[in-house]
Amino acid sequence: MKIVVAIKQVPDRDAPVRIAADGKWIEERELQWAMNEPDAYALEEALQLKEKHGGEVIVLSAGPERVGSTIREALAKGADRAIHIVCDDLGAGAGGGLRNFDALGVARLLAEAIKPESPDLVLTGLQSEDLGLCQTGVILAELLGLPHATLILHVEKTDAGLKVKRELEEGWFQSIEMPLPAVLAMQSGGNKLRYATLMGIKRAKTKELRAVNAAELGVEAAPVATLEQISAPKKQKSTQMLGGSAKEAATALVEKLKTEARVL
Amino acid sequence: MPPSLPILAEPTLFSLPEMLLFTALVFTSAWLFWRRFGPILGRILQSKKDPDFHLFPIGKRVWDFAWEVLLQARVIRERPLAGVAHALVFWSFCVFGLVTLNHCAVVFGLGFLDPAGRVGRLYFDFAAIFAVGCAVGILGLLVRRFLVRPKWLGELSWGSGLVALLIFALMATYLAAFFVTTPGGAVQALWWVHTITLLAFLPLIPHTKHLHLVLSPFTVFLSRGSFAHIPPLSGDEDFGLVAGKDLTRLVSLQAYSCVECGRCMEHCPANATGKELNPKEIVLGLRGYLNEFGPQSEEALLGKYESQRAAFECTTCGACEFQCPVGIEHVPILVGLRRGAVNTGTWENDYGSKLFLALERGSNALGMSAAERDKFVEKSALPIFDGTQEYCLWLGCMGAYDPRGRQIVLALVRVMRHLGASFGVLRKEKCTGDPVRRLGNDLLFQQLAEANLEALTQNRVKKIITICPHCVRTIQEDWKEFGTPPEVEHHSEFLARFASQLPSVRDEKKIVFHDPCYLGRYRNVYDEPRQVAALAGELVEAPRSHERSFCCGAGGGLAFLGEETGERVSHVRVEELVATGADVVAAACPFCNTMFQDALAARGDSAPELMDIAQIAARGLPEDGT
Repeated sequence: MKIVVAIKQVPDRDAPVRIAADGKWIEERELQWAMNEPDAYALEEALQLKEKHGGEVIVLSAGPERVGSTIREALAKGADRAIHIVCDDLGAGAGGGLRNFDALGVARLLAEAIKPESPDLVLTGLQSEDLGLCQTGVILAELLGLPHATLILHVEKTDAGLKVKRELEEGWFQSIEMPLPAVLAMQSGGNKLRYATLMGIKRAKTKELRAVNAAELGVEAAPVATLEQISAPKKQKSTQMLGGSAKEAATALVEKLKTEARVL
Repeated sequence: MPPSLPILAEPTLFSLPEMLLFTALVFTSAWLFWRRFGPILGRILQSKKDPDFHLFPIGKRVWDFAWEVLLQARVIRERPLAGVAHALVFWSFCVFGLVTLNHCAVVFGLGFLDPAGRVGRLYFDFAAIFAVGCAVGILGLLVRRFLVRPKWLGELSWGSGLVALLIFALMATYLAAFFVTTPGGAVQALWWVHTITLLAFLPLIPHTKHLHLVLSPFTVFLSRGSFAHIPPLSGDEDFGLVAGKDLTRLVSLQAYSCVECGRCMEHCPANATGKELNPKEIVLGLRGYLNEFGPQSEEALLGKYESQRAAFECTTCGACEFQCPVGIEHVPILVGLRRGAVNTGTWENDYGSKLFLALERGSNALGMSAAERDKFVEKSALPIFDGTQEYCLWLGCMGAYDPRGRQIVLALVRVMRHLGASFGVLRKEKCTGDPVRRLGNDLLFQQLAEANLEALTQNRVKKIITICPHCVRTIQEDWKEFGTPPEVEHHSEFLARFASQLPSVRDEKKIVFHDPCYLGRYRNVYDEPRQVAALAGELVEAPRSHERSFCCGAGGGLAFLGEETGERVSHVRVEELVATGADVVAAACPFCNTMFQDALAARGDSAPELMDIAQIAARGLPEDGT
């Protein structure tokens, strides 16, 4: 099976996030970067499918030079080769993150890079940890003219195509059979991620890493959505004291956990 | 010489057939020895060169050789009775070198020690004293091995019994020759029995554990130079001990040097608590591997002869390496096997992967958000290090994120403020890489070490103080592979220096101090924490203390690997500490502290109080710390 995994580099969880002066994106200096977590699960699924059925895993990522480190990480974990769409306008830029490429623009870039590969399967995370649009994967499927499914936890190859496990709300799952080729947007947590190894990193040095740019792919930036402003969430903390006897307080607490917090 | 001293009877004339027979026997014996020893030596020499081996500075090597080999100090110190018996045998062998040379030389009329002459008589009598000691010693060892049978000696080995009898026979025939007064047949017979015993002994050496006679002096002399030293990897194809081709000369030499005494096994916390790991079997496994596959093999080491599970049960407490009388360095071997498994991705462990992934993306081994550390630093009003303070207070993962670790840090901070010592903490800190270093993840360790070294250089840090012996060790020794770390000191060393300025609170408490492995065996710091602990009352000692201290079970990354098989190491240790009748268990390592906390809680009521020495030092200070 030839599998393409589209991966995004996002600010690291522990990185200090500050809003840039123009209020349209975050300050990118002094940030540490990491692989978008749902994409890491997409990569893991691809690697496991390859280990079971053979084939090739190609990593695809769009972004500036710094994205190289995440691509190398993916190669180190076992991907066979990589395509880097070098694209400086992605992410911050002076006028905001999506100034030149919105989700549609990014999906176009990815689609153009994927087409000549004609893979059996395209995997990507269901959303990015920074923008969280959940759009890129499904637009990509549309552009490639392939069937897609989202929120996938598990993929099984069958004679006819694929059988996938899809996460629904409130602990429900859906099992879908679908043909190949296809695009799947992967949910986090379906697999156990593997750790990076020294041997993987050393071997990654010899793997093919091809760089292309938007012009070579014939994609021009034509955003249909623009990001106007971002803001930090307002911190809200409220404390309620439950009075009465221990029994009354416990009853009230259970009631609130059921009706307000809805965790019971 | 008083004429009453006995004189050794020695044949004076040998016939030509006797000379020929003797010569033939010597060559046969030497040939039988070499037929076995030659291939062993070959396998050692064909092993990979050790990348960081330096013969110089040679002073320490000479000292270790004199102390451990010639004086047998380590053998005696750790097992006094058996040790002295062994030393008597060893010293006799040394003294008998000259006796044996002369014994062989007389066949050809070339004897250089005259039994009746002044020097010869003195020397033979001198040797006779050792012969008596040796005979008694070897009989004692024989009784111990075959009647007392301590479990760490393993299964009964008839080879050892035979060798012991041969040694006894050598001494007996030598001593008997003093009591033969008439020249003739009896003298000749004794000489021949002694000779044949000697020539039978020689080929047995490479076939049995007595190979250590030949190899261990070299093993002790050619050590890696420092305790539990983890050697650097060399080149793009070195991932640790993956296959035979990765075994270095030192590892192979050590594998063949093992004398199977089982001291390593006796002191191993994993083995003592019913786990699979037996450090002796790890070493003998390498020997078995080398005998079957050789030092250039691609056959995986973890397989027929070595168990992956056992390798990952090691707490890297170093008790085995510290005890080993023949210079085997177990820690680099065990960590080497782990490196081979982790660096190639063959080790699959949910807890291990979780730890590695937490450190690939995050900053600490506990998998917490770095914001938690920021909050702690802010809430506790810890000053930020700006290059003007004397000490950089390194929090470590436990000090920054663990509730008990934080209390220890705050206690130390109160003491430092009281003493007027200037300090600051870094804005950001990553794990030193201790758990991943010991678990064999070189990629992650390098990333963490390099990031930390860069941050410390940027912040112009000259001196680090920390509550964690693991951080101390990793910063000072392991980071050297990637740069020059600043000076680092454990808080026990700092506190001991100022102990006289700290108020002691004498409330008649009995305190037992637990030596953390990474402070004691790894850093040779035993007295300083005791000096601080003694501020709170009377010190008592656990049965296993100082360099024999028994691990808490957390080292080697095992604190992060979940449930143990068998008994818990921490529970065994806590029982031992509680049995001293102490009111306070004093710890000096946040990992020991957290292990004991759990173990004491599991015991239930009337548990003694658990305190870090920093908390003991801070006890007498007023609450506001001024």
